[in-house]
Amino acid sequence: MFKKFSLEDISAQNQVKASVQRKIRQSIADEYPGLEPLLDDILPKKVPLIVTKCQNHLNLVVVNNVPLFFNIRDGPYMPTLRLLHQYPDIMKKFQVDRGAIKFVLSGANIMCPGLTSPGGALNEEVLEETPVAIMAEGKQHALAIGYTKLSAKDIKTINKGIGVDNMHYLNDGLWKMERLE
Amino acid sequence: MAEKPQAVRVLYCGICGLPAEYCEFGPDFEKCKPWLRRHAPDLYPDLLLKEENETDADKAARQLQSVAISGSGDGDSSSAPSGSASASKQDEVKRLPGGKIKKKEKQEVVIEKIVRNKRKCVTVVKGLELFGIKLSDASKKLGKKFATGASVVKGPTEKEQIDVQGDIAYDIVEFITETWPAVPETAIFFIEDGRKVAAA
Repeated sequence: MFKKFSLEDISAQNQVKASVQRKIRQSIADEYPGLEPLLDDILPKKVPLIVTKCQNHLNLVVVNNVPLFFNIRDGPYMPTLRLLHQYPDIMKKFQVDRGAIKFVLSGANIMCPGLTSPGGALNEEVLEETPVAIMAEGKQHALAIGYTKLSAKDIKTINKGIGVDNMHYLNDGLWKMERLE
Repeated sequence: MAEKPQAVRVLYCGICGLPAEYCEFGPDFEKCKPWLRRHAPDLYPDLLLKEENETDADKAARQLQSVAISGSGDGDSSSAPSGSASASKQDEVKRLPGGKIKKKEKQEVVIEKIVRNKRKCVTVVKGLELFGIKLSDASKKLGKKFATGASVVKGPTEKEQIDVQGDIAYDIVEFITETWPAVPETAIFFIEDGRKVAAA
């Protein structure tokens, strides 16, 4: 999704009003319970929260010029990889095998076999349409953020085709945009 | 941001910006290698091993070439430079079959005067961004200096350029070289009758 993404794709930047801020904060807290105690650090109340609207119904939550979360239409908020690297345990994790890494890093969606093979791992509780962190075999840090198309059980039984949509991966446009100006 | 104890500090590669462990899948692993060797030697233990093997192979080759020169001390002393040489050789070889050689854009500023309405014109400045100049800042400065409208416009092929109202073609060279010393006068070109003419 962010394969090509640059400042040009931003159509509007707004400092949002307090009620919207509360809503965003609430939905992030609902989505990532592990993040709740940290929320005041990540989204300080004093600093203005900026929502950046981009093409394709994409919103970025920006604090201090650093993009922290993104969502599509009214979908769930997902952390950017830089944030996820800092707090790796906030998301449910899937793991792909080593062979898949290079495809994921060029933006491919995650196919079921890459998750079910010996090098992969699944978090059984994950249902479809949930954001997940994509880890890799033998690596410590997440390499992508995905949005499941199938539940973990279905991925196991069907074991074919796209299991997780690749939303954001290392070295894509959003990753390179460390700071917004 | 205040770091809570849980916050993990990730080691990002100084070259490609990826977490160091993903350098091997990054855009240019070869370039990252020296950095990795210095900052994260334990991440790629096989990297160092491989390097050693390479130098070994190199040494063997050299020994084949120059059989006469006496032995081991000589080989040891020159092993380090040979390692780097082999790395650069590898670089060339690797880049050629890939076929994807990055075209480096020539750093130059192109100035073009476009006449509209017969007596009014717009001066278009292209390529300032190649010198690391922020276009929005530049347009502001240009507008201020020449007291005209200056705006950043999306030009053909998705490139951004600065449109300045009025004919400022002659003063602009001096202005550019003065405000941004990074731009040499030799890199500035005019377009006259569809031909590129050097400003200097």
